[in-house]
Amino acid sequence: MGTEDAHDDHEHHLPAVEDWPRGFGEASWWPFVTAAGAAGVYVAAALYILGRGDTSLVSPLAGPAALVASIGLFLVGLYGWVYHAFVSTFWSREANPDSANKLRWGMLAFLGSELATFGALFGYYFYIRAGNWESIFVGIPDLTGSLVIANTTLLILSSVTLHFAHTAIRKDDRRKFLSWLVVTVLLGAVFIAGQIYEYYEFIIHEGFTLTSGFFASAFFGLTGLHGLHVSLGAVLLGVVLVRALAGQYSAERHVSVSTASMYWHFVDVVWIFLVVVLYVGAEVGV
Amino acid sequence: MQVNGQLALTVLMGLFLVAVAAWVARVENWRSYTPVAGGGGYGQEDSYVSNEKPSGVIRWLTTVDHKDIGLLYGAYALTAFVVGGLMVVVMRLELINPGQTLISNTFYNSLLTSHGITMLFLFGTPIIAAFANYLVPLLIDAEDMAFPRINAIAFWLLPPAALLIWAGFFPIGDIIPAQTAWTMYTPLSVGEGLGNQGNAGVDLFLLGLHLSGVATTMGAINFIATIFTERGDKVSWANLDIFSWTVLTQSGLILFAFPLLGSALVMLLFDRNFGTTFFAGEGGAMLWQHLFWFFGHPEVYVLVLPPMGIVSYVLPRFAGRRLFGFKFVVYSTLAIGVLSFGVWAHHMFATGMDPRLRASFMAVSLAIAIPSAVKTFNWITTMWNGRVRLTTPMLFCIGFVSNFIIGGVTGVFLASIPVDLVLHDTYYVVGHFHYVVMGAIAFAGFAGLYYWYPLYTGRMYQKTLGKMHFWLSMIGTNITFFAMILLGYGGMPRRYANYLPQFATLHRLATLGALILLVGQIIFVWNFVQSWLEAPKIKDGDPWDLKDSGLYTAEWDWFDRKLQTAIADGGEEADVVPDGGEEADVVPDGGQEPESDADE
Ligand code: HEM
Ligand SMILES: [Cu+2]
Repeated sequence: MGTEDAHDDHEHHLPAVEDWPRGFGEASWWPFVTAAGAAGVYVAAALYILGRGDTSLVSPLAGPAALVASIGLFLVGLYGWVYHAFVSTFWSREANPDSANKLRWGMLAFLGSELATFGALFGYYFYIRAGNWESIFVGIPDLTGSLVIANTTLLILSSVTLHFAHTAIRKDDRRKFLSWLVVTVLLGAVFIAGQIYEYYEFIIHEGFTLTSGFFASAFFGLTGLHGLHVSLGAVLLGVVLVRALAGQYSAERHVSVSTASMYWHFVDVVWIFLVVVLYVGAEVGV
Repeated sequence: MQVNGQLALTVLMGLFLVAVAAWVARVENWRSYTPVAGGGGYGQEDSYVSNEKPSGVIRWLTTVDHKDIGLLYGAYALTAFVVGGLMVVVMRLELINPGQTLISNTFYNSLLTSHGITMLFLFGTPIIAAFANYLVPLLIDAEDMAFPRINAIAFWLLPPAALLIWAGFFPIGDIIPAQTAWTMYTPLSVGEGLGNQGNAGVDLFLLGLHLSGVATTMGAINFIATIFTERGDKVSWANLDIFSWTVLTQSGLILFAFPLLGSALVMLLFDRNFGTTFFAGEGGAMLWQHLFWFFGHPEVYVLVLPPMGIVSYVLPRFAGRRLFGFKFVVYSTLAIGVLSFGVWAHHMFATGMDPRLRASFMAVSLAIAIPSAVKTFNWITTMWNGRVRLTTPMLFCIGFVSNFIIGGVTGVFLASIPVDLVLHDTYYVVGHFHYVVMGAIAFAGFAGLYYWYPLYTGRMYQKTLGKMHFWLSMIGTNITFFAMILLGYGGMPRRYANYLPQFATLHRLATLGALILLVGQIIFVWNFVQSWLEAPKIKDGDPWDLKDSGLYTAEWDWFDRKLQTAIADGGEEADVVPDGGEEADVVPDGGQEPESDADE
């Protein structure tokens, strides 16, 4: 398979403007590459498990190495695909309300599936909460400190600022759009840093870890899953920001702004629910 | 013995992969000699260097065309069907005699686990995806799926998922296959205690299962977006065909069922590897069952709804009448979709759960039989006084209805707590669900494969072989699974490699039935492959003479136009009826064929 670079026909220096490889019409290698990367993550997890213990079948480094390689492959696939599909022809494509619509439906359906993803962990938490709670709660650090309050406020604020950004681009006010977007991404980053700090406090100073028992499983399971989602959301917003800085988006063309904010607001709402039932809920019932 | 069996299976699976690869390659060569109606895609002449589609294997690796992806799903599902089928043949052979004869008990457990998972996740869901991918865009007059590339990714996640699920069967170090049964109940599956389920083979199996769930969920999101936003101008909700309705409902179920299982699997993996305690507590075993069946029951409807759609779609074509009570079939589909999330605990009646909860689950479980019965009556009424033509697809549809009745009625008995307490965990349950999964779901799959055979191969299968396949399957299914129902009444517990001598006769009967099924499926594979390679090409865009009865539909119209353009002939506009409930004068006219058609 010859990799043909496409850099013959344009003044502006955008990489990979043509899909790779060229001349494939509708066909493309990107889905295959992306899928190989994604599946590689699972293989890496498998190798990691095989590499554990003293009777390990593979070197303990095989898993992490495969993970890095797979994520790299996955990102390359994603980049090539998204770039070709959405970015490179951004202004020349027609602003197609149908395609915007389908992306919104896709995001909505995805968020529905996310409900179920969180559902299993919340199900576990409610289940132990309804059971012999007192004994389970013993030895848990103080959860509702100022850190959670600050972090929650930040995340809610970030939803508000993102909403401002969204309204701004709808009015074609690019300057406001950009600045609110920057603020949002910053708030998101601070939130993630806050979560890492909380983990650090709990694990290192309080000795409250993943293996500390029933409540710990719920706590780290839920906050960990949520943390992954916030991180993904931050990456999505980061991509939007980069594209915005590169001059994309207008009042008619901002589907990815809409879908990324749908996701961000969703993650925010889940957090509020999580704080109420997990952090506050754990304290009040005791 | 175990090692030998393992090796044999490994070799067998290797052979199958090679055979499939060879087959695809063969189809490929053959394609290049024929300009028209190739292996289900469109013709592409040798000399013509297409800049639309690459050729050879690369074409399949890079395709984002919903029809190609449908074919890939089909090839994948049928391969898995062969693997899962051979696994169960070995099990049935072991069960000819009460004691341990052919394979070790642990190997039996491994086969049992993999058979179930393979059939449900690697055959059932993908074969439905094959039909849905190929047909839904054609039926709703969409150019392609809403997200063609996500569609391709979703497919390509499946082969690695299968390899992880089967990993224990390959000779890799000391890993052994999972023996948790498809339900993966804790604490067995957590790997604690004296058992051997702490083995990494179980982790790989769980990872593979998770990956296949991700793929399925991506597919479901895609179908939802497609059916909501990509319908052609003439396709409204009122005249949306029944198959697309069932795919839409199924996708909705997948959306909430599979990710929940996914999280539960990850929790289980963490319990196994990182010392969490999700399923370790007093109630941990119950919690797993709740989570598993909250997924598991909707999963059975995920598997049965689109096959019901296929039957509702195909059966009227050979009854010479439109589907009776179309609206009610749609409503009952939606009702099943909603209710199926409220019945999961009927799998847990014997666990000692709260009796008040148990009674309410019994009530909903009995209620869910009503929409299922509505459909059954609609199928029967459609045939009533119709001009029934007993073609192979029609035979399979009728077989579906009759087996589904037995499967459904046994289900209603199980839904009643006192009866279930007697029959739970016996072969009766195995008989019940196999009447549905083999007798109904697989039959509907065959009906679809035969009915649309000309559509995706451009050729016709061999009729006699088709009928032989049907009769062997019908007889085999009923012998095997009726024997199991009787075994259950006798008290034979499920999932055992050995049994008391008094069950020998019925077990032998069940094995006999399974062998009959095996012969039938060999004929099927033969017919399928040989006809694809050698049968004369179809020249008629209406191979089932549907125009005569006014039941011509969009996908055949598309097929007809494909044939017409192929012979460089204008082609007249055919009369197409939408399959939907409303008599509309505007009709969907089939999917848009990409440019390559005009190349000739
Ligand atoms: C007519 C409606 C149905 C009812 C009322 C019903 C009821 C039940 C009940 C109560 C059980 C649990 C038996 C036990 O373990 O003691 C059961 C098991 C099962 N049913 Fe059904 N069923 C119905 C339809 C279906 C359909 C359509 C399918 C498949 C597509 C299906 C597949 C299964 C499976 C796979 C199991 C066994 C699960 C296991 O323990 O491994 N059922 N059914
Ligand atoms: Cu059920």
